[in-house]
Amino acid sequence: MSVGILALGAANSRSIVHALQRAGAEAVMLERPEQLAAVGALVLPGVAHVGYLIQALDRGNWRAPVLAAIASGLPTLGICAGFQLLCTRTEEAPALSGLGIFSGTVTKLRGEKIPHMGWSKVEARTSAFESGWAYFAHSYAPPAALRETLAITQCGAAFASAAGTGSVTGVQFHPERSAEYGARLLQRFVRMVREPAYAG
Amino acid sequence: MPAKRIIACLDVKNGRVVKGVRFEGLRDAGDPASCALQYCREGIDELVMLDVSATLEGRLAALQTVERIASEIDIPLTVGGGVRGEDDAVAILDAGADKVALNTAAVEDPAVLQRLASRYGSQCVVLSVDARRANGGYQVATRSATQATALDALQWARIGTALGAGEILLTAIDRDGTREGFDLQLIADFSRALNVPLIASGGARNADSFADALAAGADAALAASVFHDGLLGVAAVKQRCRERGIGVRP
Repeated sequence: MSVGILALGAANSRSIVHALQRAGAEAVMLERPEQLAAVGALVLPGVAHVGYLIQALDRGNWRAPVLAAIASGLPTLGICAGFQLLCTRTEEAPALSGLGIFSGTVTKLRGEKIPHMGWSKVEARTSAFESGWAYFAHSYAPPAALRETLAITQCGAAFASAAGTGSVTGVQFHPERSAEYGARLLQRFVRMVREPAYAG
Repeated sequence: MPAKRIIACLDVKNGRVVKGVRFEGLRDAGDPASCALQYCREGIDELVMLDVSATLEGRLAALQTVERIASEIDIPLTVGGGVRGEDDAVAILDAGADKVALNTAAVEDPAVLQRLASRYGSQCVVLSVDARRANGGYQVATRSATQATALDALQWARIGTALGAGEILLTAIDRDGTREGFDLQLIADFSRALNVPLIASGGARNADSFADALAAGADAALAASVFHDGLLGVAAVKQRCRERGIGVRP
């Protein structure tokens, strides 16, 4: 059972591979959409300009297969810009469309110092999510009022630091860089990994 | 506002930590990944690795070191030192660094900040400003502080952030390694004038000196030798910050 990481040219994919391995999963980089069928979970990684990610998604013909995989119930985790990619739109790249799994527009943060960089409190809005301290590094974020919000964090105003619907979770922080709190989140994600659709 | 950060800096040359590290219980105190893990256990918020290798072989070794550190730690890692341009920055990020810090390369080709930010986002791009007191102000130095420039430090930081740098790593060269305390005036001037996070470096002395730097407006305070030499523990620094009303990560 392996977790596939979408290779869209995000900077920190390797950190995510290692963090998933620490959480007990096998992690593979997905270079082509056909490879989606062989994994039991999907990570959309996130150190990148979201416009760059969306363009890479469409250039690599990932959009339809990723949406189909999500629709089939494949456990999916979007991290940072990967979370933003799951939203409908973003102010950072207004001409482009996200995947639309979370129904909202990602907006620019209005804190005193932007990017929001460092450790902040994640405040769960549901007992299904854990509160704790996580590492953030971003200038844009999904709105707190997202219908699917699981947790919020303050930076100037509140934003959605985690959201979930069905088998999809998005987190604005970096679980791979959030010490024990992030490790627990990844462990929970790894426990959801299912058998791949086709064994061969 | 996020918690204020305490950052440890590892100076790495040819794949080994230089500037003695006196961790107890480490089998090899010169191994960067072991040191990095030890800092994590002590509760450090972030690590900076500075590559001080002078040779190409040294720089290649540094990339492997980045990979090893990045694969073992679970907190953010910034890498700087000897980044000659976009290709080096990309290689460092590919090796697992969360952020890359540029000084000389950005002074010589400021547009590199823009190119990196448009691909990776500003939060990935740190402008390292080595500031030296000169002519009643502060001027930027490059090439490991061996080369003076005519650039005003704050003016340059403004330009750099406008181009896409998402964080400033500000080193007061006159304080570096002196243990005289951080340059609070410099920190306050930068913090007031800039709207990106500011890491203060140079002059760390005792736990109070960190609290002073953070109270003066720094979002993070960085040190190398006071931690390496075992003069100060991360927990003690954080404890003092909390006593002085500065929010740090538990």
